[in-house]
Amino acid sequence: MTRTSAPGVRVDDLTVVYKTPAGELPALGGVSLSLAPGTITGIVGESGSGKSTLALSLLNAVQSPGRIKNGTVEIDGLGNIVELKGEDLRKARGRQVGYVFQAAQNSLNPLKTVGKQLLDLGRSHDFDDLPALLKDARSLLGRMGLDGGRVLDSYQHELSGGMRQRVGIMLALVLNAHLVVLDEPTTALDMITQAAILRIVREVHHERGLTTLIVTHDMGVAAEVTDSLAVMYGGRVVEHGPTTEVLGAPRHPYTKGLIRAIPRLSGDIDGATALPGRPPTLGTIPLQGCVFRERCPMRIAVCDTVDPVPVTRDARTVACHAVGRLATPVVPKEYA
Amino acid sequence: MITASGITKTYKQRGNMLGARAVPALRGVDFTIPKGGAVTFIGESGCGKTTLGRIVAGLETYDSGDIVIDGTPMSTLKHRHRQPFFRRIQLIHQDPYSALNPTRTIHQTLAAPLALRAKQTGRDSAWMDERARELLALVGIDPGYVLPRYPHQLSGGMRQRVVIARALTVDPEVLVADESVSMIDVSLRLGVLSLLKDLRERLDVSVLFITHDIATARYIGGDGELYVIYRGMVVESGPTESVISGPVHPYTQALLSAIPVLHGVELPGPDRVVPTEALDESHADSGCLFARRCPFVTAECEAAVPALVSDGAQAHACYHPQRRSVIPVEALA
Repeated sequence: MTRTSAPGVRVDDLTVVYKTPAGELPALGGVSLSLAPGTITGIVGESGSGKSTLALSLLNAVQSPGRIKNGTVEIDGLGNIVELKGEDLRKARGRQVGYVFQAAQNSLNPLKTVGKQLLDLGRSHDFDDLPALLKDARSLLGRMGLDGGRVLDSYQHELSGGMRQRVGIMLALVLNAHLVVLDEPTTALDMITQAAILRIVREVHHERGLTTLIVTHDMGVAAEVTDSLAVMYGGRVVEHGPTTEVLGAPRHPYTKGLIRAIPRLSGDIDGATALPGRPPTLGTIPLQGCVFRERCPMRIAVCDTVDPVPVTRDARTVACHAVGRLATPVVPKEYA
Repeated sequence: MITASGITKTYKQRGNMLGARAVPALRGVDFTIPKGGAVTFIGESGCGKTTLGRIVAGLETYDSGDIVIDGTPMSTLKHRHRQPFFRRIQLIHQDPYSALNPTRTIHQTLAAPLALRAKQTGRDSAWMDERARELLALVGIDPGYVLPRYPHQLSGGMRQRVVIARALTVDPEVLVADESVSMIDVSLRLGVLSLLKDLRERLDVSVLFITHDIATARYIGGDGELYVIYRGMVVESGPTESVISGPVHPYTQALLSAIPVLHGVELPGPDRVVPTEALDESHADSGCLFARRCPFVTAECEAAVPALVSDGAQAHACYHPQRRSVIPVEALA
């Protein structure tokens, strides 16, 4: 009962807490986010923003001492993955949700060839036709510009960083999952390899009809490849909308600050300005009020006490008290 | 002022049955770091830029060529006589998480090099304490908060500032910053970059900036020189702004084309260059090292290595130099 089309995903009011000596601290505080079928969504955020925790929740794979305390993750054709357990959950991982882990370069078994690991994967998912699986893997690798036969016979140390990353993507797709999560797919790769991987992600996404989620700290990576962009801060999604609009006309003060802080190749380089302060860690996320207020230039009295509710207006969701007050509707600009 | 000429370095890989393999990391590199100036090396991983930084900081030997520091060629000196020269050049490591000793407080970390400095200049321990506070304030962190703490109690941005403060304890003339912000959160990155920029202006230190992120190079060393390094050779060099806006070597163009475009803010450059294949160093190259990957390759390129020639401001090593518009342009110009 493998789906042949891209599923939609709806995360609703998801709270994930981590157990610490100081009690249970929320890494995700009531996050709601929808991934439209067939789109590439990017999640950008700094370390500690909860972006990887959110991505792991899509597999119901938040590790102890963390746990999903509240909320649902509905995946089309699979139901609420938060309620899946044991064998059902194991079967869903890989078959329906493909996951390319952070540092995929280091997540291969150094003692087995890529082909052996692929066969293990096939057996653990009760594939009868293993030769067909190998054939699929070879064609996928060929599609990504690698010599499939050679790569399957290789150990991980015989492959470069960019090649291992492509092997990771192949392993996530070969069981025909139509929802794929990539956690920091290009970290530790250099510019030219990064550009090649991003091109491959985009092409494979379109060819196979996937719903893709990319988690990254690099605004440029998200800008290059995604259709829709969610910005996370302190365990909240503070802004979400079409990528070109979020980048071209950001509304949340954090998104604005983040974009201003990126040095660029054209224009006035001194226009780049740093965001004051530093991002919160698990222990310093404020328990009440807006999580961004300490660094916010638009802070008002209500920010100290009330956590802003995400408000959606013309396809853009923003969680900010000050933005809500500005009643002037922003007309999205047209871009080529 | 530091002048390097014809620096080569070859790493020997330990042999197996088939014999040892020599890996050339640098194949004859020339550059100059003027006093108070900024010099940037960019290139892919494995191009030799980190090796070059370590050689400049005196942490790595070189096989041939020479480094001349303020008129003194290092090759004429014995190791221990070189030390005072190389002390003026301090390396800021890539990873602020491993560059600090986790068992020492920041106070202890700064005290060791300051004690050396105090001994050299005949100062007492009161001066050391005062200097530690002064340096931390200079790099923009609160000395009272940081001094008694251990590295794990500080954020990445703060740790990198401590690493910079430690480098400043010996009053260096050159800071070598090797990918110094790549491990730091995006919103804090610009703060560290502007600190380096500020130090250049206030203390008149030169900065040798080693990176694969060309936009940050533009931020720190926009007025300096840029060297594009490919497999141990300089393939293009010139004033940073002019190389970025008008690259003529296809490799520089490929590097600049690979930078993600902020769609919505920028439009992609019209002539983006994509290498025809991935980097594979195992092939023997008779001609231009980039020829195998170059979309504009001709028979001439395979024959002999092109020399670095200057056309006034910019220099390039290519038989078919041509300006191409590859960098993103602002959409709302």
